[in-house]
Amino acid sequence: MINWLRNPWGKPRWLKLITIVYILWSIVPVAIAILFAFNAGRSRTTWQGFSFRWFTGASGSVLHDPQYQGALKHTLILAVICVAVATPLGVALALGLQRWRGPGGGTVNTVMLLPLVTPEIVMGVALLLLFLRVFPEIGLGTPAQAIGQVTFTLSYVVVIVRGRLTSIGPEYEEAAADLGAPPHDQLFRVVLPLLIPAIIASAAVAFALSIDDFVVTQYLSGNASTTTVSMLLYASARGAPTPALNAIATVALLITLATLTLAFLVYRRFASGREAAAVAALDI
Amino acid sequence: MAFPGVAWLAIFFLVAFYAVVCVAFGNEDTLSQPVPFWNPLHWNAGYVLQVLGNYWHRGPYLTVSIRTIEFVALSIGLCLLIGYPVAYYTARHAGRWKGVVLLLLIVPFWINYLMRMLAWINLLAPNGWGTRMLHDIGIERVFIWLGLLSARGGWLDGQPSAVILAFVYGYIPFLILPLVVALDRIDQRQIDAARDLGASPFSAFVRVTLPLSKVGILAGCVLVALPMFGDYYTPDLVSASTKTSLIGNQIDEFTRQGSEKVTGAVLTLVLSAFLLLLMFYYLRTTRQATAVAEE
Amino acid sequence: MQGEIRLEELTKSFGEVVAVDGVDLRMPPGEFFTMLGPSGCGKTTTLRMIAGFERPTSGRIMLDGSDVAQVPPHRRSVNTVFQSYALFPHLDVAGNVAFGLKYQKLTKEEKRRKVKGILDLVRLSGFEQRKPEQLSGGQQQRVALARALVLTPRVLLLDEPLGALDARLRKDLQVELKAIQADIGVTFVFVTHDQEEALTMSDRIALMNHGRVEQAGSPREIYEGPETEFVADFLGVSNLLHAEASADGGVCSLRIGERTFRAEQGDTGARGEVKAMIRPERIGLEPHDTPGDNRMPGLVERAVFLGGAHEVHVRVVGGELLKATVSNDGKPLTFALEEGSAVGLHLPPDGLRVLAPSQPPPSAEDAAERPVRTAPSM
Repeated sequence: MINWLRNPWGKPRWLKLITIVYILWSIVPVAIAILFAFNAGRSRTTWQGFSFRWFTGASGSVLHDPQYQGALKHTLILAVICVAVATPLGVALALGLQRWRGPGGGTVNTVMLLPLVTPEIVMGVALLLLFLRVFPEIGLGTPAQAIGQVTFTLSYVVVIVRGRLTSIGPEYEEAAADLGAPPHDQLFRVVLPLLIPAIIASAAVAFALSIDDFVVTQYLSGNASTTTVSMLLYASARGAPTPALNAIATVALLITLATLTLAFLVYRRFASGREAAAVAALDI
Repeated sequence: MAFPGVAWLAIFFLVAFYAVVCVAFGNEDTLSQPVPFWNPLHWNAGYVLQVLGNYWHRGPYLTVSIRTIEFVALSIGLCLLIGYPVAYYTARHAGRWKGVVLLLLIVPFWINYLMRMLAWINLLAPNGWGTRMLHDIGIERVFIWLGLLSARGGWLDGQPSAVILAFVYGYIPFLILPLVVALDRIDQRQIDAARDLGASPFSAFVRVTLPLSKVGILAGCVLVALPMFGDYYTPDLVSASTKTSLIGNQIDEFTRQGSEKVTGAVLTLVLSAFLLLLMFYYLRTTRQATAVAEE
Repeated sequence: MQGEIRLEELTKSFGEVVAVDGVDLRMPPGEFFTMLGPSGCGKTTTLRMIAGFERPTSGRIMLDGSDVAQVPPHRRSVNTVFQSYALFPHLDVAGNVAFGLKYQKLTKEEKRRKVKGILDLVRLSGFEQRKPEQLSGGQQQRVALARALVLTPRVLLLDEPLGALDARLRKDLQVELKAIQADIGVTFVFVTHDQEEALTMSDRIALMNHGRVEQAGSPREIYEGPETEFVADFLGVSNLLHAEASADGGVCSLRIGERTFRAEQGDTGARGEVKAMIRPERIGLEPHDTPGDNRMPGLVERAVFLGGAHEVHVRVVGGELLKATVSNDGKPLTFALEEGSAVGLHLPPDGLRVLAPSQPPPSAEDAAERPVRTAPSM
């Protein structure tokens, strides 16, 4: 075994070993947690058979327990609002930054990037104080949570869309202008259609970030009715929850993965053309 | 066209942060609610001085801060120890498995952080699989002997080691990915040249690969350190004891849970200032590194 | 007058860098006009200013008598074929070609007919439903051409459109483009760095260097009568010799090395140090001791076989290497082609051209000193 590990000509096998062990260590605990969501019994540590009871069962399940239902619903509502607001805002900001003439562009760019490096607790405290003292009319609760989520997802949207804008380049807009399209048409007939893959990708990212968000959502929560899945996980983790907790976490995970996969597929359908074009242009 | 976005950021980010500053330099009213002083000329440095005084006199704030730095440093160290080989393998030796491995490395990003912690708590609960397994293999005994675990099965009772390990588990994916990118960029030919000149594989690694990946390592560490310094939920979940209280916990206690919001705001400023210093140091080192590389 | 362009003292600076330096050009209507020059000479920037993608720092762009320098690109009656075609990936061929027709007041039927007509012209009938990604490079280029021409612009601008194609396809498309231009009579303004392409296709060429026009004229004019060293060198092989010019009874007399030559072409009024130029096909190679005027000896360095001719590289006394063309027409040679053989070179006076020195690149101070006619703001 030592020799197998120490082959001087082969690639270092111990690296491969470490990687495999790491990946297992990284994923297996979550896999186990998901597994126990399907446990027939109430234990989260002893396997008692396979069952869907914690998902759809008559009582105590994600589908029927009001607390879990409420959390799931609230999480989805926030996610939808977040995407609906952050995506257009972010796309507009990305376009605006790209065409920025005159001074100030660099500053705005920096401010836009700041939320990405700000620790969540700093943002949480800042937003909490904002809604307590500056906008007490809004106060804490769903609107505040939504606003908070949009504030930090915005930067992700801008970065993703901006990247795509840069790789598209100014050519298509110039061509459109050359052919007679006024600036308004250049945007709607040419730039936006080309941006669709990036818009979809950033919307999916915003959605996933919103679902998984914890700190900001918790800080801006008003009362028990504004609990999200993350908050529920946090509150119940050290208690003696039933596998329903695992179940709701699994549901949230599935929603996230489904969204990302869907976005990826749609992105591929829209963007694949260009990759094929590069190949096609080589042959006559 | 950028205006709505800019306005949004200005109000909900810049003003929000300004609110923190104004509360920190503000006062409390009779109901212990914070009163921000908006005009810098009216700022009341009382609470700020109080906190700074606490630091100066080695009060609890200082203890917690130092503990935070220790925990973060240890965690990042461990992350590097485990993560670097994994990143190295992925970037340079994975061959046709590279896509699959990358996908597996990215998967944790999309799993709710709390769910991942939940999974661990589940395993390390008094009769969880993890606890039983660690006991059976004997690792538990080693930990107790090393003083890292205070009692059998007591993983979640407030062990610094548990918090550090939780940090490592939680944040290591965020370190591995930038490392993979950095290691990917290194030109194989430079390593080949070193080998050609007589260096052993290990020596080539230490003298060529490692220095070239320094910038990437630094970037990854900063990327992970920033959120880690503000993390309060991980110690809360895994330990729930004041023995492992970090600055994030303090801030959380004062602002969200308790009614000392002004002090909480001050501590937030202290944390932010510290992190700004960290960023400056990072930016300066990278600028120097790129300047040297360009020579 | 449809499609005449006049550039008057057109200047464009990017900060300290002067890309286009006071260019004056007239592009007659209905002609195939080429702007030729090395990378960075300002030809593309000039083209972009005519299209409207760059605002001139000063100067005027007259399109059929009106200054369009401040008119935005979507309102100019000028269309462009881009180097990378810039076909809209999300539209099919018909969609691309019809894109600009939306801004012309036409019925749906008229638009459909126009699209069909132009696709017939570029020989892409039946391709309406294809997507750009499904087309080859040559086909994409023709769609780009169709898209621009369907709008019946007064001038068509082409920015190195054949650059991305392989040699064979380039030659075919050069012929096609020229034929289309002659057919529809639209003024073509063509930009390229390939001198052969320019010589083949153009009615008129403007050779540019360092942001200025070195010489403009028909291909034959500037090939046979280059006015500066740069022009001589850029087109074909130039064979330059250092010489000292002086007057000798109404004729230009050049002292090259220790011999005196008569030159009848070019800047015969120049005095002092000049460059003398002769084309390879005008040099007569003969045995090295042949007597007569305008002759010099040399040593053969190599002879390159070109199929129909030999290009003989001869080192002469002044150190320069001259290239002479010797046709392989079957006639016996009176001298040896081997390396090291001595030959004589006859430089006939009507083939010997006196050149003015080329202009140096403009400096920022030069540009500042010139009176700046600032373009009025919109």
